Amino acid sequence: MGCGVSKSNLFQKSDSKGSVVSAVTSIKAAVLIQHWYRQYVARMELKRRYTWHIFQSLEYSGEQAQIKLYNFLGYLMDNFTPSSNERNLISHFFRENEVCRDSEWERFFDYKNIDVPEIYSGPHLTFPLTLEQGSGLVDAFRNKRQLHSRYVLQLLLDTWRLLRKFPNISRVSTCQSKEITICGDLHGQLEDLLLIFYKNGMPSHERPYVFNGDFVDRGDNSIEVLLILFSFLLLYPNDVHLNRGNHEDHIVNLRYGFTKEVLTKYKMHGKRILKLLQKIFSWLPLATVIDQKVLVLHGGISDTTDLSVLARVDRHKYVSALRPPKKRHPSTANVSVDYEEEVWSSGRRRSSVALPRPLTRGTFQNTSLPDFSDRVRPPVGGAAERRGRLALQGALLGGSQQALGAAAGTGPSQDSGESSDHSEDEWKQILDLLWSDPMTQDGCVPNEVRGGGCYWGPDVTDDFLSRHNMTLIIRSHECKQEGYEFCHNRKVLTLFSASNYYDVASNRGAYVKLGPDLVPYLIQYQASSKTRELTVRQRVGQTEHSALRVLRKQLFSHKSDLISAFQDLDKENTGLVSLKDWAEAVEGVMHLGLPWRMLRSQLISRRASDGAVDYRQWFTELAIQEPNMEHIEKGLLEMLYRHRSTLETIFRIVDTDNSGVINMEDFRQTWKLLSIYLKMEFTEEAISDLAVAIDTNGDGCIDIQEFMEAFRLSDKKSRLERGRSMFMGTAHDLQRPETVDPDL
Amino acid sequence: MAPKKKEEPKPVEAPKPEPERPKTPVFDSASVKLEFTPEQIEDFKDAFQLFDRTPANEMKITYAQCGDLTRALGQNPTNKEIMYVLGKPKPEEMQTKMLNFDEFLPMHQHFCKGKDSGTYEDFVEGLRVFDKEGNGTVMGAELRHVLSVMGEKLKEDEVEQLMQNQEDANGCINYEAFVKHIMAS
Repeated sequence: MGCGVSKSNLFQKSDSKGSVVSAVTSIKAAVLIQHWYRQYVARMELKRRYTWHIFQSLEYSGEQAQIKLYNFLGYLMDNFTPSSNERNLISHFFRENEVCRDSEWERFFDYKNIDVPEIYSGPHLTFPLTLEQGSGLVDAFRNKRQLHSRYVLQLLLDTWRLLRKFPNISRVSTCQSKEITICGDLHGQLEDLLLIFYKNGMPSHERPYVFNGDFVDRGDNSIEVLLILFSFLLLYPNDVHLNRGNHEDHIVNLRYGFTKEVLTKYKMHGKRILKLLQKIFSWLPLATVIDQKVLVLHGGISDTTDLSVLARVDRHKYVSALRPPKKRHPSTANVSVDYEEEVWSSGRRRSSVALPRPLTRGTFQNTSLPDFSDRVRPPVGGAAERRGRLALQGALLGGSQQALGAAAGTGPSQDSGESSDHSEDEWKQILDLLWSDPMTQDGCVPNEVRGGGCYWGPDVTDDFLSRHNMTLIIRSHECKQEGYEFCHNRKVLTLFSASNYYDVASNRGAYVKLGPDLVPYLIQYQASSKTRELTVRQRVGQTEHSALRVLRKQLFSHKSDLISAFQDLDKENTGLVSLKDWAEAVEGVMHLGLPWRMLRSQLISRRASDGAVDYRQWFTELAIQEPNMEHIEKGLLEMLYRHRSTLETIFRIVDTDNSGVINMEDFRQTWKLLSIYLKMEFTEEAISDLAVAIDTNGDGCIDIQEFMEAFRLSDKKSRLERGRSMFMGTAHDLQRPETVDPDL
Repeated sequence: MAPKKKEEPKPVEAPKPEPERPKTPVFDSASVKLEFTPEQIEDFKDAFQLFDRTPANEMKITYAQCGDLTRALGQNPTNKEIMYVLGKPKPEEMQTKMLNFDEFLPMHQHFCKGKDSGTYEDFVEGLRVFDKEGNGTVMGAELRHVLSVMGEKLKEDEVEQLMQNQEDANGCINYEAFVKHIMAS
């Protein structure tokens, strides 16, 4: 370093007083700017971190909600009498999760009786697929066409047949100087996939690809992304490799948009398509190994991950990673058992074996069902206070894992202890593979934030790589601002290919190319030209703005609980709480583990001179526009808003024929279900008011979508849930298709 | 020669002709008096937790993050000063050695006693030095060069980020606007 600048003539002004003086001034100036820059970067980083923290907290609490809901439904199944209405509402949902015999599945795939009308304007496919049709499909989707359900089913059938032949772990080689392209999470973002193909070329013999899971959910075009990937798989089975992600799972899909997308786009055959996809997802390979040196899988590893075990499992038994495999009663191993029907339907019997009562999820220790409205106060004080969320999740995880572990589907409990141990171990291996995240510290701890898998450290990576004689792990599963991130001393690469995932301009996407030298070469991109030109500061600013907006809504939807909490702390009823109390109360209700103090300037605009917060005033600031439903009780509206995702999920389950409409009776039953789940009372009157308010034509049927929208529960531009980019224009589901419904 | 394991440099160890300033060679955190208010400490804790990437939330950050955190909280130490309070760790230790909140506080306090980060006028004056024609602009290329070659050098991508969208068609930067831009975050 030093002052070598005296040699340079850069700093000699024509009227300089002396080169040494100006050199010193120059250095001083430079240092000033550099200092400032570093501070500016640090402040940006802080903002970026809490913004991400907000999005992630909300995302993960959503994931938690799904698991809780599922557990709740399972609890219902076991604890309500067969004839109860509530149970009947949802029993079909569990029936779907069976592993049927293959011949029965073929029946499901029967597409031959589906006719394609003449006015259908989408692509026509013949099988086996040709290259021209493959790229034609890509073009059609780019032009917003939809593939007819007949072709969808055919494509899925061929895909399923092919996938069954693949081993759990695909082995790929870069011989012949081929470069392999690896892509991370796509999450239904078609524009990103198209961008990758545009930059890198479509898959072919000369251009092999690995797609590392999470093809669906959140984005608007999950089914199109999936169909493109499957068609290339069919065209180049040795050159296109798909790994299963944690979102290739029907339970997760129910909440995160894929189920809804398919049912919306394919009104008649959507349910069938979804059921087939359940099967197909379970047949997706678990991992890919390149040149025996590079492991590509979706989530990650744990300290118990063993590739030889993973290579051996019957992967298709794990229809959902959240649910351990069903065990069959040994004597009925050859017979397909429709267990629910068997025991619960009156009279009908498919098998002659009398099956015992189903295993209850009675190990469901939480007899008081935990949920968001529970005011579980985490231990107060310091870090524990803010991370109280993790404690709650830990409890949930303990509860849910116990429940899941003991549930074993609805199979009988007389399995030999040994086989159930095997099963448990295999299940854990798969769960770890799909859900784990790396951490900076050594060791391996359960991933309580997500509810599945582990956090694994650099030592685990080193051990794993040396045991398997490998050099690199490529995984996805986590969104990264630059689209990728190395960790563990560059031995682990996280790759994320869905740009603008949390919001417009939130992050780039990336893909990686590996040649025979196995040195990763990364390419980044961002869908939508408008965002590419934004500076880092503008990008961070925009995302921050969105995150705060969503957070404010969340806060507002917990108004009653928050006011209660404030009042508890405001014993003298002054209407004010100290900042410290404010942060404590908010975290106690929201359980998001966020740095509330840090966010105060963004969330509270006015405070008293001593820093105290006028909490009632605060809510008027936060107020979102409420629907004009004066006759509906306020508390009910708030509850609706808060639990809108759960509400919609239950509606969808109840709507057995997927018509989007449920009758009044089912509507009432849904509320009964919800009231049990949330431990809240709804008066008959309140429910009738709701029904009347939405059943405008008085025919006794409720349109689910209209209901959600009328109560402002469905946020049409909810970016958090959809991750849309500006590129795609108007959302598909806002328009009634003008063209013929290709599903007819 | 056996590789040295100790990282604490002894002032009289090597007879290098480096002009050593007459200050204590090792940072003594115990000697720092903490003058923060409880409110401030709560604020720092929040920020600290945000940088904490341990999954068990042990309230620890890496050495490498210490500088970022103190800057995020409004201080502006030089890299050299940061190394000093950390006890002059080796480069590879920056990512692996951890710091807890109680260890961080005295370091941060030490920085708070340092000089101010500079006002708007300071910056404009500083940049004016490079304004050859005295017309309110500097050459982008020159500024880039300076920032990456002199003082506490910035890396190329850092310079890029700083200068993004600031240059006009002739490659010139209006520095008053530039300073307003970087100060307004």
